[in-house]
Amino acid sequence: MPKGPIAEAQLDLFMLTVYVTGFIFIAVGGVYVYVIIKFRERPNDTRPLPTHGHGNPLIEIGLIGASILLLVIIAVPTLQAIWFTHDTPDDPESRMGAWYSGEELAEEEADNPLIIKVIGYQWWWAFEYPQLGITTANEMVIPAGKVVHLELRSVDVIHSFWLPKIAGKVDLIPGRMNSMWIQAGDNFIKWKEKQGLEGAATAGPAIDSPKLREQYATYLEEEIHDYYYGQCAEFCGESHARMLFRATVVDDDEFAEWVADERTGHATPDGKTWDDWYAAYAENPDLLVGDVNEGLKLFMGRAKCATCHVVKGNPRALGVAGPNLTNIGSRMSLAAGWLNHRNEDGSIDVELQYDNFFKWIKETEVVKPGNLMWKANGGGIGELVDEQGELALLTDDEVHLISLYLQSLK
Amino acid sequence: MSDTATAHNEEEDSHAGLVVENKKLLMWLFLGSDCMFFGTLISTHLIYRKLYPQSYDPLVVFDLELTSFSTFILLMSSFLMALAVSAMHKGQLKSFRRNVLGVIFFGLIFLSCQVYEFAHFTNEGLTLSTNTFGSTFYLMTGTHGVHVAIGIFWLLCLYFYSHTGKMDAHESAIDVEVAGLYWHFVDIVWIVIFTAVYLIEYIPGF
Amino acid sequence: MSHTDTEILPPETTYAGKTLLLKPERSRLGFVRPDHNKSVIIDWITTVDHKKIGLMYGAIALFFLLVGGVEALIIRTQLAIPENDLVSAERYNQLFTMHGTTMIFLAIMPLNAAFFNFLVPLQIGARDVAFPRINSFSLWGFVAGAIVINFGWLLQALEVMGLLEAAGATAGHTDFVPAMGWFGYAPLTHTDFTGAGTDFWIMGLQILGIASLSAAMNFIVTIVNMRAPGMKMMRMPVFTWMTLIVSLLIVFAFPAITVALGQLMFDRCFGTNFFVVAGGGQPILWQHLFWIFGHPEVYILVLPAMGIISETLPAFSKKPLFGYSIVVFSGAVIGFLGFAVWSHHMFTTGLGKVATAAFSLLTMAIAVPTGVKIFNWVGTLWGGRVRFSAPMIFSLGFVWMFMIGGFSGIMHSSAPANAQQQDSYFVIAHFHYIAIGGIFLAVVAGIYFWLPKMIGKMWKGNLSTWVAIFSVVGLNVTFFPMHFLGLLGMPRRTHTYLAGFGWETYNLVCTIGAYILAFGVLLLLIDIVRCFRSGEPAGDDPWDARTLEWATSSPPKVYNFARTPIIAARDALWEHKYGPESRRITYEDDHGHGIHMPSQSWMPFVASAGFIPLGLGVSLMQAGIPYMGYVAIFGLLVISLGIILWAIEGPGGYHLHPDEDAT
Repeated sequence: MPKGPIAEAQLDLFMLTVYVTGFIFIAVGGVYVYVIIKFRERPNDTRPLPTHGHGNPLIEIGLIGASILLLVIIAVPTLQAIWFTHDTPDDPESRMGAWYSGEELAEEEADNPLIIKVIGYQWWWAFEYPQLGITTANEMVIPAGKVVHLELRSVDVIHSFWLPKIAGKVDLIPGRMNSMWIQAGDNFIKWKEKQGLEGAATAGPAIDSPKLREQYATYLEEEIHDYYYGQCAEFCGESHARMLFRATVVDDDEFAEWVADERTGHATPDGKTWDDWYAAYAENPDLLVGDVNEGLKLFMGRAKCATCHVVKGNPRALGVAGPNLTNIGSRMSLAAGWLNHRNEDGSIDVELQYDNFFKWIKETEVVKPGNLMWKANGGGIGELVDEQGELALLTDDEVHLISLYLQSLK
Repeated sequence: MSDTATAHNEEEDSHAGLVVENKKLLMWLFLGSDCMFFGTLISTHLIYRKLYPQSYDPLVVFDLELTSFSTFILLMSSFLMALAVSAMHKGQLKSFRRNVLGVIFFGLIFLSCQVYEFAHFTNEGLTLSTNTFGSTFYLMTGTHGVHVAIGIFWLLCLYFYSHTGKMDAHESAIDVEVAGLYWHFVDIVWIVIFTAVYLIEYIPGF
Repeated sequence: MSHTDTEILPPETTYAGKTLLLKPERSRLGFVRPDHNKSVIIDWITTVDHKKIGLMYGAIALFFLLVGGVEALIIRTQLAIPENDLVSAERYNQLFTMHGTTMIFLAIMPLNAAFFNFLVPLQIGARDVAFPRINSFSLWGFVAGAIVINFGWLLQALEVMGLLEAAGATAGHTDFVPAMGWFGYAPLTHTDFTGAGTDFWIMGLQILGIASLSAAMNFIVTIVNMRAPGMKMMRMPVFTWMTLIVSLLIVFAFPAITVALGQLMFDRCFGTNFFVVAGGGQPILWQHLFWIFGHPEVYILVLPAMGIISETLPAFSKKPLFGYSIVVFSGAVIGFLGFAVWSHHMFTTGLGKVATAAFSLLTMAIAVPTGVKIFNWVGTLWGGRVRFSAPMIFSLGFVWMFMIGGFSGIMHSSAPANAQQQDSYFVIAHFHYIAIGGIFLAVVAGIYFWLPKMIGKMWKGNLSTWVAIFSVVGLNVTFFPMHFLGLLGMPRRTHTYLAGFGWETYNLVCTIGAYILAFGVLLLLIDIVRCFRSGEPAGDDPWDARTLEWATSSPPKVYNFARTPIIAARDALWEHKYGPESRRITYEDDHGHGIHMPSQSWMPFVASAGFIPLGLGVSLMQAGIPYMGYVAIFGLLVISLGIILWAIEGPGGYHLHPDEDAT
């Protein structure tokens, strides 16, 4: 079931081709079966040899003409759909100024739709929201019923962004930027059209009323709000199969809340300021007690996580090689959609989440073969060494603490 | 049951008549394929050139006088090749040898100019790895140079073979003609490269 | 220039019951040509006989069909359940890469070549191809390329055992077998991301390309120049026409991939920037070049199958092909248009509206000549007398299954719909219906049709029916569900998948289907072996067929036709048997000349053997093994030496004087 105008257009076109080819299958296939049965050789066949017809130009031309006609039937909607799906439409209700209820939005952005920069890495996704100043990874959040413009880039090899229920795929090609637009659910005008309401898209005063808006909101909530699955759809190396992502579709208010949450940096586990915390970390780390503190110490220290990951709020977790970990405790999957801990009702299964964190750090090479967290230049966690230069991987206890710390990032 | 001296002529068996002699048709097909081959290489160069006009200024290293000279030499070598083919058709072995030697000599001059050019460019900083210009330039002209070298080697073989007494107008004219076709093709490719790669840089706005 | 050896030396050789005393030739080099060698191995290695070469192509191709099939079974078994760990991610990626590469380049193309080789000279009334030694060179070049591409498995085994580690340009990578997908998209194919496996792939494909190119040129010259008198172009069998078109496609399409592979090799070995983004390269250029080759390539794969069907359907309907001229013409149109649609493989790369629209429409256009062929095949059956022989069953299956594959092709042609289907299991369904439902069934039809002619033995029993049942059922059970998998969002080239997306049952069904199909292939092999071992003599024309190759003995004599046939009509043999006197085949008088046969030769084998050190040398050099560059140069020298000696030794030749009647 398609959940957006692009996917719907694509499905409609697909069904058209199914009907046309189905018709041909029955027609030609029917004749074919008939011919085989009717003209089969019978035992002790004494009939004379068949007359040697060599062809019939009239039939040929007729059939060629019919084929062309059928193809034209497919071609015209195809062209329309190419134009429709390609250019980001300018829908007044999708402009940021019209629906975004969060913090101050820059003036120049008021007329633009929501823009998300999608950046593909081997084997995870970075999602940046430049208008809102936030960056996240692997799970994007988008508002329902609004046009969202995506800019697709890659830093290494070719990937492809595919959110099947919402849109077709577009490739992320290094050295070049591709754009696409997606929309989860119909906008207000289209929804009214589908309800059969008059004046929906034609001239005349648009029908609008609070009640109608409410019905529209209900439609979005019941049919469109969801946690959508997406996956990389261009072979990108060893763990291509494990480069999934998710798109959560929410209403405008929830979206603003989410943005605000993302913009708020994390505090220290025990409430100190970050400066104080680092001062303590430098002078007397044993003062920093508690599991989550221990986890944070490992995060900044032996496990070296901060060299590759950003945690907003933490002034020294600035690594850009790996996914942004802000609010990772709120995400419903890990390792680019591979390890999941979402309940049916949308809440997080906390125990499963802990297990996933543990597994991801402890056995990252198994969860995502070839990934850089295990074996990065300068030492991933699969290359951690002790003072003697001997391999000294994280102990189970250490992994436990880090997992708790990450779970706390909500 | 003795076989006759003409036994090794493949076309002895009668058939529907040759459209174009076997060896010649084969060479034409090969050249058609090679056309696509060079076309792809040259297109790559032109495309990248259009995409990144600022990436490298070839006029810094290009020496139009030298390249024009070597182009002229190659053209003259084609002329001599045509003379060699004609000589072989008439069975004039001495004339054939002279002309083929001339082709080889001019071909070597051309190659020397290429080698010099490559060395000079590399010294001036244009290498295989210099963004896309170096990559496409060297691969394209280098491939052409290899074609020339193979041609020279082929002609050398023909030259030495002509001394063995086993070549004569009837038997070997087709072989020489086929070598001639190859040589002319290599020359024409160079004209295209010269125009599309060197000359084009001197036309403002292209 | 003359062979002046006047001694008459044995061996004696027997052809058609007549003993002929033949002189071994001395080549211009002074060596004795390996004609009529007592050693079977040397005889087959040095043969220039198109029939023997065709049989070797076929046998080796069938072997690689099995190799590719095993790779597929492992793939399917891995995917039978979610999150399976039968093979690692890297191994799986190598398996699907090698499955595609093997099936396309080492199985289908040489199977097609087997049929081209065996049939074309017979169908046009020629004694052999235009350049018999080039023919041998193409065969052994194919073998060399196959060895180079698969050599990595050996190294991978060593790596798994901990005995080998990559160094040099590919240090840090563990793959020695290609693992980047059979179309090798840049920049994944750069040394940054893949190891020596990619180098084996590049070198292997280049070698195979040279082999294909030389074979194609050989066939074009043969078909254009060596037809028997009266065998006008429009009297040629459709299979020969398809050979001609396919050969032209090869000549004009392969250079694109030769350049692309060369550029990739330079990127990997010499630091150029053709596809390296940091240096200004554009990965999309690889895609364009690859598919400019790649799309004609798929027509190269399928047109011979269509040619085979265009022979078997008329033979077993006892009617001429409906609309011969149009079938030939549509084959040419498909070939031509095949060059105009390449970017339909790139609809998701952001080509822009206009380009997308253009390629979409052109792709739809190509459905028209394809449809025409199907209509004409049905028209051939209409009003005929359809005999359900073994070849016919597979031919009928072809028409049915190919139609389904063609329909999913039409679905792909609509670019917006394509955006959902591309890179998903839907595409896999499409091309496997064409490749298995189409090409494989046609090839099997061809085997059942022509094997009796090739080896002189007839099939025993009705195992063919079971082969057909298992193959067709297996094909449909494996690949029909994949349409749905694609629509449910399962991407291709994924070594595993999560449960909970609704994919589990479909995948399990597909895997079961794969084993059914494999069983069908196994039965086919058993049937072939049975035919070899205990088939009854087939006779010249066991099927009461229509074209000239059936006018020879089974197997045909080494010289094909004792006297050159003079052709008076299309479907020459049929007209000869049932037509008026004016359309019968007559034979030329050879004036006691005898038949001039080409000499056998070592040189093509030597020259193509040089490809192995060349290909392995470069790849192993990339793997960091020292001195391998010298091995590559040595390979180049062997190739050059082989070619020079080949040129100098001359075509040689000897005469045969068959002492019997023309037929």
